[in-house]
Amino acid sequence: MNALNDPIFLAAVALLAPIGAALLLVVLPFVRHRGAPAAGLCIFGSVLALAAAVKLLFVHHELGDARFAVTWISAVSKPIAEIGLFVDGTSSSMLAVVCLVALCVQVFSVAYMHDEPPRGYGRYFAYHAFFLFSMNAFVLAPNLLQAFAGWELVGLTSYLLIGFYFAKPSAAKAAVKAFWMTKLADMGFLFGLLWLFVATGGFEWTAKLDPTVAVGVTLLLFLAVVGKSAQFPLHIWLPDAMEGPTPVSALLHAATMVAAGVFLIVRADPLFVQAATTQTIMLWIGAFTAVFAACLALVQRDIKKVLAYSTCSQLGYMVAALGAGSAFAGYFHLGTHAFFKALLFLAAGSVIHAVHSNDLADMGGLRKKMPLTTLTFVIGALSLAGIPGLAGFFSKDLVLASLEGRFGWVPWGMLMFSAFLTAFYMGRVLCLAFFGNLSHKAEHAHEAPLSMSGPLIVLAVPSVVAGFFGSTLAHAVGGHYEAHFVGLTPIVASAMALAGLLASIAVYGRNRDARVAGAIEGLDRASAVDRLWELGYRRALLGVSSVLGWIDRYVIDGLMNFTGYTTIEAGAAVRGAQTGRMRHYLVAVVLGAVLVAVMGLVA
Amino acid sequence: MTLQHCLLLAAAVFAIGVYGLITRRQAIGMLISLELLVNSANLALVAFAKHAGAPTQPLVLFVLAITVAEVAVGLALVMLFYRRYDDTLLDQANEARG
Amino acid sequence: MADALFWLCAVGLVVSSIAVVRTRDLVRAVLWLALALLSTAGLFAYLDAPFLAGVQVLTYVGGVATLMIFGLMVTRRHTKAAAEANNDQNVIGVVAALAVFGVLAYAILNTKLPESSVPPPDTSELGRSLVHEYLLAFEAVSLLLLAAIVGAVVIARRRDAEAREAPGTSSLPSFRAEAD
Repeated sequence: MNALNDPIFLAAVALLAPIGAALLLVVLPFVRHRGAPAAGLCIFGSVLALAAAVKLLFVHHELGDARFAVTWISAVSKPIAEIGLFVDGTSSSMLAVVCLVALCVQVFSVAYMHDEPPRGYGRYFAYHAFFLFSMNAFVLAPNLLQAFAGWELVGLTSYLLIGFYFAKPSAAKAAVKAFWMTKLADMGFLFGLLWLFVATGGFEWTAKLDPTVAVGVTLLLFLAVVGKSAQFPLHIWLPDAMEGPTPVSALLHAATMVAAGVFLIVRADPLFVQAATTQTIMLWIGAFTAVFAACLALVQRDIKKVLAYSTCSQLGYMVAALGAGSAFAGYFHLGTHAFFKALLFLAAGSVIHAVHSNDLADMGGLRKKMPLTTLTFVIGALSLAGIPGLAGFFSKDLVLASLEGRFGWVPWGMLMFSAFLTAFYMGRVLCLAFFGNLSHKAEHAHEAPLSMSGPLIVLAVPSVVAGFFGSTLAHAVGGHYEAHFVGLTPIVASAMALAGLLASIAVYGRNRDARVAGAIEGLDRASAVDRLWELGYRRALLGVSSVLGWIDRYVIDGLMNFTGYTTIEAGAAVRGAQTGRMRHYLVAVVLGAVLVAVMGLVA
Repeated sequence: MTLQHCLLLAAAVFAIGVYGLITRRQAIGMLISLELLVNSANLALVAFAKHAGAPTQPLVLFVLAITVAEVAVGLALVMLFYRRYDDTLLDQANEARG
Repeated sequence: MADALFWLCAVGLVVSSIAVVRTRDLVRAVLWLALALLSTAGLFAYLDAPFLAGVQVLTYVGGVATLMIFGLMVTRRHTKAAAEANNDQNVIGVVAALAVFGVLAYAILNTKLPESSVPPPDTSELGRSLVHEYLLAFEAVSLLLLAAIVGAVVIARRRDAEAREAPGTSSLPSFRAEAD
């Protein structure tokens, strides 16, 4: 067979090209320290990976699934664990999405990071190449064990990327927070794996389990997902993680790292369908996170944090769909969301680059200065809001449809409300940042260079049209899907999206005009329209938001602090056993060895 | 004499070595006790070679070589310890106390 | 006759081993160790391993014991250290040793030990196996020895900074704890 038609060869290229680039950057410090060649090498690796991934899509379409595995841990009867490559509809499509988004982010970074000193520049791209490898290793994993390895690698590289400005204390703290928050959840993955192994003797995606074991294993896996995909209550690391460079946020929080959690459930769906209890919990947590995070997104002043909470919220949609047993709906939304959220983050990055501020108050009227960025951001925002015809509409519709009639329509209603909020906060960002009057800081803004706007355009295309490929995707992953515009869910969802957008324009659009009349009062808080809204909007929505924020800060963070405190106290309680005397340790070692031997003899 | 006799003898020497390891106060005293442990293991290996036809004699040579290395490094550590604490009483090193 | 050699060496080994761990003077302990190693060499000879017996005498009795004495002399304190060669863990030491012996003896007595009439290899076979089957291990051990020698020198070397301090004073006074 021609190597270019061999799915395993293509998957191997997609996996090995980035790690090759990363390793070269590690062992060739003179390349890394020069900066620009490092970027070239990293992007070259990603281009190879993307080419292989795209080709793989077609090859998979013709030849179907393929699996390649070598024994990793051998045992007498059958191998305990294998590593290798597994190509099916899900992994090949995810691979293409990941590679495309990663490549766009890398190209975007070339210009975005150009103020970085060359050494930091090279380090940045080395991390990027390594990240792409980790993600691909996770996506292509033939079993849960390799998935775990890839998962942890993704965690490590995202730690490195979030903490890229490690000299900045807040960035270093954010990186550590993200790391140990996800690590805490990863204990769930680890124990789930062990339990799965004890129960089945393997790490297969499609293991058959007893009902109780299935619930236990999937709950543990879901704990890991809650951490990685920033679901309530382990979402608190995500906003802090915005300390990283903006393209990193685009990469981690759009297409890849947080999506890994959802992808894990999609992959392990054969396990999850055996555990109805877990699915119910997923459904509720997902729905709650969707509303909760959307409320928090409403009140953020930092454009990146709006997008961060929006990501939380959208991941909640996916988790809810998966909990409703519709793996395809969740996966579809994952794919479309990857495109438009990466687009939004990169466009936000372009804005931040031009305005030198994250604060929405410093922006305004950028439409005139940055038409291309504005256009792409609008596309992304409308797609996210779920305007009919754009990518986000189809997948969100599918998610909502999967919840129809479940639990007395309550989760459905929550997500519908969240859809309204989504449109509202995206409209708010649009009004504040791109429309209205030119702010002081935005006066000197100018359109980004082509290397930054290029990726925006590339990402804008799938943000518009990806929805039309739903049936193709469904065919590839072995499901069935047909887009429809008529029916209860699509009509209500469209109405919600439009209502949200209009409401935001009513609040923030008019408000801006009032501000013109009031001859620039500063912030919009004082204006008349705002005071009108004070009753409805501030009292109600902000009230809810601040209550949730309070819960977030004191109950959730308090829980975490309590965990830390008890750990320290427990340590203090047992430290007396550590005498520091070698002979005491020796006695313990000897008696322990005897004990083990006795246990061996008795058994 | 049978294999059993030899192994019991080796076990006895090993137990004596463990006693020495636990009770000796000085680092060199512990090193000496370690020699007893290794020695008993060698005795067992040779006994297996004789009575069970096991190919364990080359292992004894390797054990000897590694023991020599261990003694060399161990004595070097004792020297260092002596220089730092002005004595070889191991109880003085309790930095690992919790 | 041969059995008498075994019993002689066995008793010598056990008695000298006990002396090794009980005697107060560590120099004497090393001498007892030499005797224990010699007894083991005798047992090796009895067990059809004459070459190993020779190596045992040469490296252990000649090398290790001498090295121990040397190390002892260099670090020796002529204070009261000899009076308290053992610490206060006598009882727990006996208990642990008996537990170890008990477990091992139980295992030995309850295991069906293999019996074979294959004679152990003579010295030429032993030598050949070292440079054939065990060639890699052999080379690795030679590397290990080299590393150990270099490592020992590096560890024990008196650094210039330390040498400048008055000999005998600790470089880390804060870590000094009371000896019990």
